[in-house]
Amino acid sequence: MSALEVVGTSKIFNQGSPKQVDALVDVNLTVNPGEFVSLIGPSGCGKSTLLRLIANLLEPTSGSVSVNKKTAAQARLDQDYGMAFQQAGLFDWRTVSKNIELPLELKGWDKAKREARAKEMLELVKLPEFADLYPWQLSGGMQQRIAIARALAAHPPLLLMDEPFGALDEMTREYMQGELLRICGETSTTVVFVTHSIPEAVYLSNRVVVMSPRPGRITSVIEVNLGSKRNEDTRAADGFFRSITAVREALRGTHADHAAANAVRGVEDR
Amino acid sequence: MLMRRIAYRSSMFVLAIALVVALWEGYKVVGPQDGGKLFGVSILPRANNTAMPHVWTMLSRYGRPEVRGSDTKIWSVVLSGTLFSLRLSLVGFFLGTTIGVGLAVLMSRFKVVQRGLLPYLVMSQTVPLIALAPLVVSWGGKLEIGSFIWPRWLSASILGTFLAFFPIAVGTLRGLASAPAAAVELMDSYAASWRQTLFKLRFPAAVPFMVPAFKLGASGAVVGVVVAEISTGLKGGIGRLIIEYAREATGDPAKVFTAVFGAAALGITMSGLVALSDVLLMRNRPKETSA
Ligand SMILES: Nc1ncnc2c1ncn2[C@@H]1O[C@H](COP(=O)(O)OP(=O)(O)O)[C@@H](O)[C@H]1O
Ligand SMILES: [Mg+2]
Repeated sequence: MSALEVVGTSKIFNQGSPKQVDALVDVNLTVNPGEFVSLIGPSGCGKSTLLRLIANLLEPTSGSVSVNKKTAAQARLDQDYGMAFQQAGLFDWRTVSKNIELPLELKGWDKAKREARAKEMLELVKLPEFADLYPWQLSGGMQQRIAIARALAAHPPLLLMDEPFGALDEMTREYMQGELLRICGETSTTVVFVTHSIPEAVYLSNRVVVMSPRPGRITSVIEVNLGSKRNEDTRAADGFFRSITAVREALRGTHADHAAANAVRGVEDR
Repeated sequence: MLMRRIAYRSSMFVLAIALVVALWEGYKVVGPQDGGKLFGVSILPRANNTAMPHVWTMLSRYGRPEVRGSDTKIWSVVLSGTLFSLRLSLVGFFLGTTIGVGLAVLMSRFKVVQRGLLPYLVMSQTVPLIALAPLVVSWGGKLEIGSFIWPRWLSASILGTFLAFFPIAVGTLRGLASAPAAAVELMDSYAASWRQTLFKLRFPAAVPFMVPAFKLGASGAVVGVVVAEISTGLKGGIGRLIIEYAREATGDPAKVFTAVFGAAALGITMSGLVALSDVLLMRNRPKETSA
């Protein structure tokens, strides 16, 4: 059974008007349970739009989206997915713990159960001592970890992330990537992850979906065979550079046949 | 932390009063006794003791009877007048808050209502209060709902409401709309209902906008009530005392000031209540937004 299925989906904004934008055209994507899939492509190619369609925050113009064999609308009602954005988007007036409890409150959980789950999530993101602080008292990386804890608080099977580490510095970013893999491994969460960074996409993903704009569409899908146990050594492995090159070539719209030759250049790419 | 902020605000307040006293007495020393004229227009107030009594004359006046030969000291008359007007202002403010916040919620929920209503709300504030006061009194007098009989003081409160509700409605509306789009989208992604989004996101996000609006509303309520008392001749409040005492300005110049200070205390009490709620509500917010 697939965790996510996008079939023949298109999204046209302002259809029929002079401002018409073909944000997505005939997109097909199937994601298996526990899989980590990245969406990469130049800005304006419809990555965020695709994520919003999956989240049922937008309705497709045509085609269908299903999450765990449910319609996207039903999946949203059942809180079958969690979301995280580039801005952590924590509520200033709630403590860290209360922020994590937000989705549980909305589901009608009782207080004791909510607090126990928030505590558990704080352990998971390794910030247990920050429960009673306010978000603005934390660093950007910590805030983003709290946002991930919030997204996963209801234990949704699917996690949708839109450039969640885009605002972090490089060191924090690499640390967060490792943490995200660990967390999703421990919770066996399926992830769809939007990013601008080639190394980030390769390091995290089982598959990298390459998209291109005007009209927004999927141009290729690249398998990353780095195994399931990834760590800092992975970033120095040959396979890592080969995949980076493959993604870069795909982004250029050419084939990745002469990948190995250009491997070293990938290091600088973000 | 909380105590420090309250202490800080209070000491600034005392400092401000001391400054006003110093300016007042200073002007009495250097100012012209019979006022200053420039090109035949009098622009400087008279510094003599009839126009500007000494601060201690005004304060000591509180200890003497209201009228010669009476037992009631003037402080108790002014105090009860101030408390009377405070009650009216609180009622006006409370109604203004209810109506203002209610309208804001309605306008933020339905854009049609906002487009249709907002221009009329703005226009309503251009109607002069003095013109409105007798109207409200006469309408109120005709009103009888079951056993409910419209008390005269309620008309004064309603005029307070009239001035209070507008800044509160506008401020709250802006506040409710200030919730970031990403936060609204987050609530949508949890399939949160409109009510849940209102109470868990929009209202908390609106607090930094609502507090200053409530401050404006509170002083509006006081102005409305006092003006209504004066223009409808309602007995019992500080507004009535001010016009009564002003008639004795030549014989007993300090007297009217005792009532004026009562009115000032009324305004300060009202804004003090709002300021307290500000300190309480904003204590856990980031520093930038809670100046
Ligand atoms: N609500 C909208 N109304 C009109 N056009 C939109 C809207 N949202 C996105 N678009 C357009 O759709 C295209 C894809 O946008 P987006 O999905 O945000 O791209 P990406 O996330 O890949 O940078 C862009 O051209 C953008 O301007
Ligand atoms: Mg985007």
